[in-house]
Amino acid sequence: MRKLLLFFLALTLVAACTKSNGPAPNAKKKLTIAVIPKGTTHEFWKSIHAGSIKAANELTAQGTEVEVIWKGPLREDDREQQIQVVEGFAAQGVSGIVLAPLDNRALVRPVSDAGRAGVPTVIIDSGLESDEFVSFVATDNRKGGTLAADRMGQLLNGKGKVLVLRYAEGSASTTEREEGFLSQIKEKFPGIELVSTNQYAGATRDTAKRASENLLNQFGDQVQGIFTPNESSTAGMLLALQDIGKAGKVSFVGFDSSQTFIDALNANQLHGIVVQNPFNMGYLGVRTMVESLQGKPVNKKIDTGVMLVTKDNMESPEVKALLHPPLDQYLK
Amino acid sequence: MNPSFIRVNLWLNRVGPVLGLLLVIGIFSLLMDTPSRFLSPNNLRIVLSQTVIVAIGAIGMTLIIISGGIDLAVGSTIALTGVITALAINAGLPPSVALLSGILVGGLVGVVNGLVITRLKVVPFIATLGMLGVGRGVAKWLANQQTVNIPGTWLNELLVMFPNPSWLLVAPGVWIAIVLAVLAAIVLRNTVFGRRVFALGSNEAAARACGIATDRLKVWIYGLAGLLFGLAGVMQMSRLRQGDPTVAAGAELDIIAAVVIGGGSLNGGEGSILGSMIGALIMAFLRNGCQQVGWPNYIQEIIIGAIIVIAVAIDRWRSARS
Repeated sequence: MRKLLLFFLALTLVAACTKSNGPAPNAKKKLTIAVIPKGTTHEFWKSIHAGSIKAANELTAQGTEVEVIWKGPLREDDREQQIQVVEGFAAQGVSGIVLAPLDNRALVRPVSDAGRAGVPTVIIDSGLESDEFVSFVATDNRKGGTLAADRMGQLLNGKGKVLVLRYAEGSASTTEREEGFLSQIKEKFPGIELVSTNQYAGATRDTAKRASENLLNQFGDQVQGIFTPNESSTAGMLLALQDIGKAGKVSFVGFDSSQTFIDALNANQLHGIVVQNPFNMGYLGVRTMVESLQGKPVNKKIDTGVMLVTKDNMESPEVKALLHPPLDQYLK
Repeated sequence: MNPSFIRVNLWLNRVGPVLGLLLVIGIFSLLMDTPSRFLSPNNLRIVLSQTVIVAIGAIGMTLIIISGGIDLAVGSTIALTGVITALAINAGLPPSVALLSGILVGGLVGVVNGLVITRLKVVPFIATLGMLGVGRGVAKWLANQQTVNIPGTWLNELLVMFPNPSWLLVAPGVWIAIVLAVLAAIVLRNTVFGRRVFALGSNEAAARACGIATDRLKVWIYGLAGLLFGLAGVMQMSRLRQGDPTVAAGAELDIIAAVVIGGGSLNGGEGSILGSMIGALIMAFLRNGCQQVGWPNYIQEIIIGAIIVIAVAIDRWRSARS
């Protein structure tokens, strides 16, 4: 038994060593930037990936050779795994890290450890309760929530009952969207009543669909409006609404974009999505990191923009660029 | 021991989980502002659809647990077979072939588990723990680390709330689960195979001494259960309308909990399909009820945890007395 254990230990060590030999040595001018998303399955992250590669390509063309290493935890709520990824890159000695933290506190220590090891971090997408990073490149999430609330108020003419299905506990970006939505509704639309705002969709489409079904059974007949704060919660709610044939009968405002949502907008099942600019986020994240590595001053906070997309403005070139980022051009 | 006591005990065994389920439903109806909604046919449809994946998994798990084994790789198998079914559809295969390929891959995973356990003499806990990692990894690999979106086929309709045709009343997947549960119960109770599964779990040495080829039987059990896990994976894909390699992490724990709440014993030799189905329903109703009352998630987690322990404690207490 002990021998077996030793054998496995040896095996892991060998694996670890061979891994860390990978990038970074020789070619002294080449910058390796590790980009760590919250997950890799959502289309949102693919856009960030594409944007970061665009930045690397541009910088390389300008004479600063930059390589992007893309690695994230596959599940969107596995903090432990993400911490290990950050620690791994810090130990490996990449030039810099661009991180979308899964949690605004859990990732504070690994980021500050990395900084101490000489690896600076740019935070993207979601906030971190710390100031030991180079810059925070993200959507103004509160503003996104406010835009959604304005749309909801407009759809309901300022009165009715609204349900909010939150995303997950401890996720800073979505909490800000939810708060932005709630406070704007309370302030600007006193005629709108919020019937359920304390339930969470959870990390995946599956948990979101389950939560949506349960909530719709209880409140489905009385609500006129629904808000969900990210891609998976919006997708789960949309599936649940479609299943019970209620899609299109309630005013539904979601967040983030995907082909399913665009189809749903066209079919009047979704009446607005607040869309971030993840492509720009990945792009600016890597650019900011490189500029800082080159000793240029960078802003501590950079806004990457949000926009409300409805059926009416879907065809405008501005929105089209947002909804269909050139993924194929940069991925693979 | 007096026979009337045994009869009462048997009766309790059978009815215990049902009482538990009625208690859960009753308590939530009292807590709810609008109990009529919680008790409505629509909510029943929702809960049944949400239970199907755990229920089908629990049928397979009941077999395994009665035989004295365990399978920790169910969540991974569900993700893997869901991805494979989605990939098969995208490859242009007819949905029925995709469905079959998902189920068969599940069976294959089970057979591999059985062979590792019997040929390599690795205890089931470890063998399937290994498969938990391997299965999940292969799923992510095949799916290219992304979800696999599929075009609409009839496979997507397996777990819809309002089935077409409407005389089905509940989703087709619910009927599939019910039919499978009845079949499995009959096989367990009335066939030589079923008797052997119980014999294997009660006392493996004795079973072998009686001439049962225990190793071959184990491979059959894991393989058969694997087919069911594969079907659960197809159901999961149908619910999400995509193959998601990250889905169902930890589903094995829900499934094991369902079997255990339903009277299955991890020592083997005990368990019933009906009990496991009720166990699965208890957990689904708990989740559904907590959400509709508006309780936060943590309360729900605490309650489910407590119920598992209480159910098993009552079971131990009963068997200690008999």
